[in-house]
Amino acid sequence: MAIQLNYSESERALRAECRAWLEANVPVEPLPSFDTAEGFAAHREWEARLNSGGWSMVTWPREYGGRGLNLIEWLIFEEEYYRADAPGRVNQNGLFLFGPTLMEFGTAEQKARMLPRLAAGKDIWAQAWSEPQAGSDLAALKSSAVLDGDHYVIRGHKIWSSRAVFADWCFGMFRTDPTSERHKGLSYIVVPLDAPGIRVRGIPQLDGEPGFAEIFFDEVRVPVANRIGAEGQGWQIAMATAGFERGLMLRSPARFQRTAQRLVELYRQHSSVCDPALASTVAQCWMDAEAYALATYMTAARLIAGGTIGVEASLTKVFWSELDVAMHRAALSILGARAQLLRHAPAARDLGGWLEGFLFSLAGPIYAGTNEIQRNIIAERLLGMPR
Amino acid sequence: MQFTFSEEQRMMAQALRALLDDVCTGADLRQTLNSAQGGAQSPVSPSRWQRLSELGLPGALAPESVGGLGCVETDFVLLAEEAGRAALPEPLIEHAGVAVPLLLDVQAAATADAGGIASVLAQAAVGECCLVFASPGTSYVHGLDQCHWLLTADHDHSLRLLSRADFQIATQPGVDPLRMLAEARCAPNAGRALASDSIAATAWRQARWRAAVFAGAEALGVAQRLVDLAVVYANERKQFGKVIGSNQAIKHQLATVQIRIEFARPVVYAAAAGLAAWRTQGGNPESTARLESRVIHAKLAACDAADLAARTAIQVHGAMGYSWELDLQFYAKRAWALYAMHGDRNQLMRRLQELLFAGGLPLGTDRLFD
Repeated sequence: MAIQLNYSESERALRAECRAWLEANVPVEPLPSFDTAEGFAAHREWEARLNSGGWSMVTWPREYGGRGLNLIEWLIFEEEYYRADAPGRVNQNGLFLFGPTLMEFGTAEQKARMLPRLAAGKDIWAQAWSEPQAGSDLAALKSSAVLDGDHYVIRGHKIWSSRAVFADWCFGMFRTDPTSERHKGLSYIVVPLDAPGIRVRGIPQLDGEPGFAEIFFDEVRVPVANRIGAEGQGWQIAMATAGFERGLMLRSPARFQRTAQRLVELYRQHSSVCDPALASTVAQCWMDAEAYALATYMTAARLIAGGTIGVEASLTKVFWSELDVAMHRAALSILGARAQLLRHAPAARDLGGWLEGFLFSLAGPIYAGTNEIQRNIIAERLLGMPR
Repeated sequence: MQFTFSEEQRMMAQALRALLDDVCTGADLRQTLNSAQGGAQSPVSPSRWQRLSELGLPGALAPESVGGLGCVETDFVLLAEEAGRAALPEPLIEHAGVAVPLLLDVQAAATADAGGIASVLAQAAVGECCLVFASPGTSYVHGLDQCHWLLTADHDHSLRLLSRADFQIATQPGVDPLRMLAEARCAPNAGRALASDSIAATAWRQARWRAAVFAGAEALGVAQRLVDLAVVYANERKQFGKVIGSNQAIKHQLATVQIRIEFARPVVYAAAAGLAAWRTQGGNPESTARLESRVIHAKLAACDAADLAARTAIQVHGAMGYSWELDLQFYAKRAWALYAMHGDRNQLMRRLQELLFAGGLPLGTDRLFD
């Protein structure tokens, strides 16, 4: 079967169904930022609403509240989601990182216990991986989980945990073998963030909101049943999660296509006052957003045909994160002197949040493994260069 | 929605790669170059053309009824990539990917066999003659001295078929030693008129699109070859007691090139699929703008990747990279030639901006393919 780049009848029907639901349900007024208490609550409500319509995790099997859609159909859903300017996914770490991990490595009991609540937004999840001395070098982590009867006792300190201030649960990596080093002796354990002995301290981000946090574990007791996979299997599981994170699902192309579309429209409105060089910059951004979408369609098709995602996750992560910065930088250049105005400045009424988006875009080349680490991975594992 | 190549498509590309690994190595390229009499004639090898013809490639896009393989653009795009990877000197991609389909398009649109197209096609499809083209506004053609037929325009809305005797050539030495550039000079009414007005305009537009997309595919192949050569060198060359490829300064540059290649590739493939769909279904103004923008994007992205690959590969090779002795130069120079051919960057970028900013191009997350 040769390449055919057009949608089938059923794909078109899915798009229409999705569009109709979103048109009837997406809040007219944008929700406040989910890095605030008020915004977090509003976004949690939205997750419940999405779930009630069956749109929370369309690729999940029906038994876990999904629609069992394939990845091409997921792309169509995402295109409609961003076309409708629907709210950001406050539970993205749970939905796109933890959920797939649990489906692959969890027991039937764990899946039944956690997945439905996750899909409904009843539990919002944060990732607890990095430590003050273990960032890019994650295998240097020291936080420990020591077996005591049918519980682990967790001690340690995690940091840069997005949305942990308001989240309900975290999934983390802990050293269960105190004599182990590096990638060995680690286990993947989930912890409720209201457990005794846990203290969460918000860390204000560049925009001043506590979008990430550090988590202190002071003899936190967690049932062994909260360990995902086997003891000592943590690194392998974490790398699978990292594949999801850098790979297909966390940053769907529609998000960048939507930004590119808004950028083109912004340029059209301001073209008479712009530096002519910006025309090329904007056109390049638009092309890169298209390229990212096409590349994702091709990867999705390959995965549907039985392929796996490997090192290309690193290629993808570098590409979208640099594209996001470039698009926002271009928008700020178009806006001239007004580019520096915060959203609530009196003169900023129609600025469209480009500055806030720019600040957020700068996190992209850092989280999910810095782009320097990704380039090492590409050079070493794809091109075969020495460590 | 089906965005994967079939097993047959991959096998055909593998067959071409195997052939070119055999008859189009660096040593072969130097031998071909030496036979070109110091630039007095195009560096082509009749025996290599013969081998390509045995695979049926000159008629790849021609129907089986005229002796071709009956392939579509999505088959051919992988072949063009292989031709680029090998820096193939013969004008196979122009002949089979553009000139032959152009003749076919004109034949399909014409009521009678204008200008005896059928007999030319029959020979061209099996590689017994070589066809090149100079689309309106094009200055330089490669392989002109070795071709048997030239498709050209004497004004923007005509299409004429000239035999080798109908035109003079003025060589214009270019950067790529394996492609001799030349201009064709002829009388205004030389050769045979095949079409005019809207038939010619439509045919030329499709020819320009195919030329751009297949040049993009060649550029992808060239870019990957350049990265591969740089990696091999960086993994062997030792300085300060270790291979230079262990330095992040080297790794990150090559990783960046690989990223540009990987995000040009699907655009080139999607553009080829767009051409194939266009051939069978045609299009409305919106889908035409969509296809044109994708064709432009494919050429720009692939040629930018190849240009960056050339620049980076030379840098990674250090002084060796700046020497005539290394085969690296063949691929770098092909990258620069492709960058300037079949729509240069300025021309394409300006047209894309017209489509993007003056309307015409459908925007929106749901409009990637419609």
